[in-house]
Amino acid sequence: MTVKKLIEKIEGEAELDFSLKNGSVEDVTINFGFYRGIEEIMISKAPRDALVITPRVCGICNHAHLMAAVQAIEHGYAGTGISVELTDKAKAIRDFTLACELIQNHVKWFYLTILPQLEHLTKEESKENHALKASYLSTTITKALAIFAGQWPHSSYAVPGGVTCDPTYVDVMQAQALVDETVRFFEQVMTGISFDAYEQIDSVAQMHEIKGDIGRLLYLLGHYDMAKRGQSHDRFMVLGETTGFVQGKSIATTIANVDVRYVEEQPQSGTTAKAVTYKKRQYEVGPLARAMVAKDPLIRSMHKRYKDSLLTRIFARMHEVAYLLRICQTLLKGLDLRQDSCTLEGHLLASDFEGIGMVEAARGSLIHKTVVKERCIENYEIIVPTQWNLSHGTQSEKGIAVEAMVGSQSMDEASFIFRAFDVCSVCTTQ
Amino acid sequence: MGMDKQESVKKLFTVQSAKVDTNRGDAYYEKLYAQCRARLDELKKLKPLNNRMDFTQSIEEAGLERRDFLKWASATTAMLMLPASFTPLVAEAAVMMNRLPVIWIELQDCAGNSEALLRSDGPQIDEIILDIISLEFHETLQAASGHQAEKQMDEAMEHFHGKYLLFVEGSIPLGMDGQYGTIGAKGETFVDHLKRAAEGAAAVVAVGSCATFGGIPAAAPNPTDAVGVMDVIKGKPLINIPACPANPSNMVGVILHYVLTGQVPELDSLLRPKFAFGYRIHDNCERRAHFDAGEYVEEWGDEGAKNNFCLYKVGCKGPMTFNNCSIIRYNEGVNWPIGVGRGCIGCSEPDFWDKYAYERPMANANIKAPTGGVEKTVDEFGLGLLTAAGIGIGIHAAASAIAGKKEDGGEA
Ligand code: SF4
Ligand code: SF4
Repeated sequence: MTVKKLIEKIEGEAELDFSLKNGSVEDVTINFGFYRGIEEIMISKAPRDALVITPRVCGICNHAHLMAAVQAIEHGYAGTGISVELTDKAKAIRDFTLACELIQNHVKWFYLTILPQLEHLTKEESKENHALKASYLSTTITKALAIFAGQWPHSSYAVPGGVTCDPTYVDVMQAQALVDETVRFFEQVMTGISFDAYEQIDSVAQMHEIKGDIGRLLYLLGHYDMAKRGQSHDRFMVLGETTGFVQGKSIATTIANVDVRYVEEQPQSGTTAKAVTYKKRQYEVGPLARAMVAKDPLIRSMHKRYKDSLLTRIFARMHEVAYLLRICQTLLKGLDLRQDSCTLEGHLLASDFEGIGMVEAARGSLIHKTVVKERCIENYEIIVPTQWNLSHGTQSEKGIAVEAMVGSQSMDEASFIFRAFDVCSVCTTQ
Repeated sequence: MGMDKQESVKKLFTVQSAKVDTNRGDAYYEKLYAQCRARLDELKKLKPLNNRMDFTQSIEEAGLERRDFLKWASATTAMLMLPASFTPLVAEAAVMMNRLPVIWIELQDCAGNSEALLRSDGPQIDEIILDIISLEFHETLQAASGHQAEKQMDEAMEHFHGKYLLFVEGSIPLGMDGQYGTIGAKGETFVDHLKRAAEGAAAVVAVGSCATFGGIPAAAPNPTDAVGVMDVIKGKPLINIPACPANPSNMVGVILHYVLTGQVPELDSLLRPKFAFGYRIHDNCERRAHFDAGEYVEEWGDEGAKNNFCLYKVGCKGPMTFNNCSIIRYNEGVNWPIGVGRGCIGCSEPDFWDKYAYERPMANANIKAPTGGVEKTVDEFGLGLLTAAGIGIGIHAAASAIAGKKEDGGEA
């Protein structure tokens, strides 16, 4: 029996076609019906127009698109012999603003999607105003972002060679205050323990110390026996390299290097989204992948017990909030404002080049590829994280999210497993 | 133009561009005041919709001081271009926002405007947005999903027929019979969805450049044949709030204005409210003194950049962009693009994605005069002339002009 189910509230919507057998999920097809044609739009535009146009692929991870776009140009310039050396300051500012975007995404997903859906699924509805918490936190941290980037969403402040802003100490202090405010929210509302105490937790055995809303999440998943559901291929991929993230792949717990040349895109029938593989195999991207590749002790400890389950996946995303907040503090503290913001001279423009930009966006590795001929874009390719996680799969193996959903006892549970990947339809299909 | 080029450019860019009437005389405002008073008294008799929270209660719960709220009210009064004596009325109207049903739909979009709204302005106005505005239906923010959500929307549309404000985010793909974007279990196309939602609306508000002018999806070659709401909906009061993303203050401003006066605010020929789009970025820009002094950033990261000089030569489109970001800024007023040394990209003007984007100085940008503008000001002002005259300032070589030419060659 096949049943169609519509998944909404994922910045657009997706349709899941479930094949059921005796009430449990046997297979799922994921379809997105949405298309704008951003890659087509890029053709014959000026290479740097990508900095303005591609962020608008997505209202949630626009900043990651900006970073991938600017890196693609810088990479391309470098290939023609123009040296593009960013100062530590410019790099730190870019990494900081990107980290802020990830934080706001994770927290909003937690409060607007995961917690309400989980409460609904377990019929343990609370009276708390989750939306307000989401909005408070994302407002605070995107203000810190806007100090450097001018606005969020849709900033274009990163340019080849650096950033356009030239912050003062007052700006940095303001940003620090906002990050500290976010940390307080994490302590008081999300975990109920001090930030330092949280960072001390490095194994499953200590996780009971976590209270607050994340504590509630852990309780609900454990109590309703969902901790081990939603396991997939246990294969992870990280392509971007910003402060805190390590490039590489992890199969179960073995880490190895990666080469972007093995990344391939294939069209799929019945949907506007394309699938991505690495050496023809399926890989999961996102916070869980990043923690696995970076050998985060707490996530590795969870993985040992629960594998790449729903619980590990959801928790890894929340854990990354703490990880990134610490990185934000360190980056701001280390800023040397005397350094240059932008080092590339404007007249150094290559007219023919090919470049690749890879960054870690909230949902995983994001790739931009640009091919420029006679100062016009000849081809532009955008590979987004959800293409990795939500593909139909190949002949030999199911896609990551599909594999995770197979075996679920109900469509509601399967949909929840699906949402745990932090699905965004506007990016997937562009 | 007999004048020296430098002189003529200066004249063009320093002349007061907009003819927004901010002082219409006492008699006018007295009459308006009386009208608003009467309307608010009427609204007061209505019950808040949908069990929305009481405003006073909710600001108290949020730990906000009345003083903060009044500060916001007086700033908003100024933004709406009303005299200060209207502040108590605006404050009252804010309280009354829970009597006005709003339905929010998302079409071919990036969700950026909803995102901006979630992060809106004022004394944690997100409270006002989420608790006070009677947001009867919002495709991303609502709790229900699937069939339940569809039912909710249908019910809201029926129940508030003729009374609700319809907010639309995202453009409408007309290509392939509308199949590039569908919604709901029945696969209704965005066009049909919009038409159905607009049918019972008191007025339609298009938010963001996608919903107003087609936006990024409409960028050449416009693969999905995307258009804005005004190309689809006819015979309804329509308000455009362009910009990418649209500024939440302007969304709240439009709602407030409607609550207060029962009317749509005064619009320009592109249907943009004059209170927000009556001035150019350039008119109120913090770097304006440097423009007038002829001090420019020549390239990113140079001495001029360190000294916050004018961004004209690195492609700032502030002189031809009508919007109020230079005054209200973004993210709770923390900053705005020009504040971080990034020129304005003209995101509230039609076609910005093809004509204004990136660092082509205007002279090279191949910008066509937008159709219309604030009254006749933009037209009179003559973008063609302005572009040509801009050459006098000296051109920063940019690769982008080529892209523009190619497009134009391809256009019919
Ligand atoms: S106008 Fe801008 S923010 Fe709004 S939907 Fe379009 S791209 Fe997104
Ligand atoms: S930065 Fe732009 S808006 Fe500001 S003064 Fe210069 S040209 Fe005008």
